[in-house]
Amino acid sequence: MSIEPFNRLVRLAARAFYDDITMKGDNQPKTGRGDNRGMAVVVLDALTRRQWVREEDLAKALKLHSKQLRRTLRFFEEEKLVTRDHRKESAKGAKIYSAAVAATADQKITKEGEEKMKMHTHSYCCLDYAQIYDVVRYRIHRMKKKLKDELDDRNTVQEYVCPNCGRRFSAFDALQLVSPNDEYFHCENCNGELVAVSDKLAAEEMGDGDENARRRRQEKMKDMLQKIEEQLKPLTLQLARVKDLPIPEFGTLQAWEARANAAARISGDSSANDSSRSSQAQGYAGTPMPFLGETKVEVALSGVEAIEERAVADTKPTSVKVLPPWMIKQGMNLSKEQRGEVKAELSTDQMSQPDDEKKAKAESEDEKSFQDEYVKAYYAALVQRQEEQAAASKRAQQVENNGTSTSYLSNVVSETPSERQVGMKEKREEDDDVEWEEAPPAGKAFKVADLNIQADYADASGGDDDDGIDWEEG
Amino acid sequence: MFFHIQLERNMQLHPRHFGPHLRDKLVAKLMKDVEGTCSGRHGFVVAITGVDDIGKGLIREGTGFVTFPVKYQCVVFRPFKGEILEAVVTMVNKMGFFAEAGPVQIFVSNHLIPDDMEFQSGDVPNYTTSDGSVKIQKECEVRLKIIGTRVDATEIFCIGTIKDDFLGVTSDPGAAA
Repeated sequence: MSIEPFNRLVRLAARAFYDDITMKGDNQPKTGRGDNRGMAVVVLDALTRRQWVREEDLAKALKLHSKQLRRTLRFFEEEKLVTRDHRKESAKGAKIYSAAVAATADQKITKEGEEKMKMHTHSYCCLDYAQIYDVVRYRIHRMKKKLKDELDDRNTVQEYVCPNCGRRFSAFDALQLVSPNDEYFHCENCNGELVAVSDKLAAEEMGDGDENARRRRQEKMKDMLQKIEEQLKPLTLQLARVKDLPIPEFGTLQAWEARANAAARISGDSSANDSSRSSQAQGYAGTPMPFLGETKVEVALSGVEAIEERAVADTKPTSVKVLPPWMIKQGMNLSKEQRGEVKAELSTDQMSQPDDEKKAKAESEDEKSFQDEYVKAYYAALVQRQEEQAAASKRAQQVENNGTSTSYLSNVVSETPSERQVGMKEKREEDDDVEWEEAPPAGKAFKVADLNIQADYADASGGDDDDGIDWEEG
Repeated sequence: MFFHIQLERNMQLHPRHFGPHLRDKLVAKLMKDVEGTCSGRHGFVVAITGVDDIGKGLIREGTGFVTFPVKYQCVVFRPFKGEILEAVVTMVNKMGFFAEAGPVQIFVSNHLIPDDMEFQSGDVPNYTTSDGSVKIQKECEVRLKIIGTRVDATEIFCIGTIKDDFLGVTSDPGAAA
């Protein structure tokens, strides 16, 4: 999952919305130096380059006061851009984290000086990309909606206020407010003329709501809407780009740590030192149980490629063997094959010849003649026992079995299961030649005679087939 | 929006109606009592289409009145937010205009009238476009969209807008005259 588009989104959003946010505390009226506008952007940018980060580390890296940073982060937490996690931990807990950091990060954060055994509350923070995506979209949507509604006064219930007594009425009260004398609304209290209120974005520079002011306001609004469209264009484009991408997810702090450490151990890339450190930390860490459990899971996850590869490698052949539909299909092909071969060779040698050649190029001429002989004998047997069908099928089987040792054809036709598999594999490599399928129609002349025999034959072969393949197709 | 629903009501009938036409009397009284009323929940009862069931009467002690639980079918009209209605303009003033769709009163404030329409006071106050082609005045019909309803126990009041596509005057008696 590539994180880059999302980081770009965050950076754009930061510049669009949080550029001039000051993170000033209320009790710090310092001017000049206290002006920390743009800090929000810097912090967000820094966060895009990290995953979970301890806030002190971040503060150090940014050369900010940790209090200041915390204030900023709290703000972002409220804005739903950042997830934070606080936990009490000893130096060891910190160690786990630093191991995780070392494992994942390109930048190594070293911490040596903090080996106190006291429990400290540490805060960690991380960008929540999924939420950021939603938050930014929602923000833009709200901005536009507000302006648009404002623009055409849509769905706004007009309010009126009495300039004398300050009482407010809504348009729902209109029926009671109309006076028979003139065309204005009158206050129920003091009978003063009511004035339409427009507590809208645009400042109340309009006085008595006369037409000109209203129009000016509308212009202003339209302008603003246009500006929004145009200035937020990069952001919206980025949103669109990110839309279908998988959103990077770091999970909770614990999960992330566990995963990072596990990944480090699996890959063992960074250094043995790292992994040993993390495992050591794990050994007597303050949060061992969930961590251990997580680790196990994560090991499986992080080792996933290798396992998957192996699995793929294994499953291919096994599934081929096991998968019932596949077997059935192959079995049916095989039966066709048998039929086709038998019939084809009964009718003419040529029909089956190309296939045979394909299958076994090394076959010699005398073998072929042997085949012919065999086939002729087989056919003769078939014809002979056409009436006594069961017997015929048995006989055919026998004939085949006799031929097994010598001829290749019989290898294919008659079978011990293992031999058949050899045949199947070959078939697979040839990727389903059509010739086999075409063979039966070629042998049509014999079909009438063959039909019942074939059925029996199929039955018989089905009987001796220990795989229990369906032969019903015959 | 109109609905055909079944409602129930306890009718009190004066003893003087107890006679061969008791049922007819009861139904007539029901119609008189119910049609045209408004309940916040169901809206305006427009018409009773049938009486399904009249339960056993209960004689009130002291008065002699009898209470019948009556189940009846009726057509009700209840306006909803977002609904499009056609209404007749009843009053035009500077603040906007009032219109009626059957029993419902609707107010369209001047903010919800298209910006190209200006209020013209005078003998017949109206809203007119600058070229004078469209005029909203008393008695003319407008199609409007309800953007808000206030439902009281016995009254429904709506706020409408004609500032949207396909809304506005549908027939103009002023132009025809």
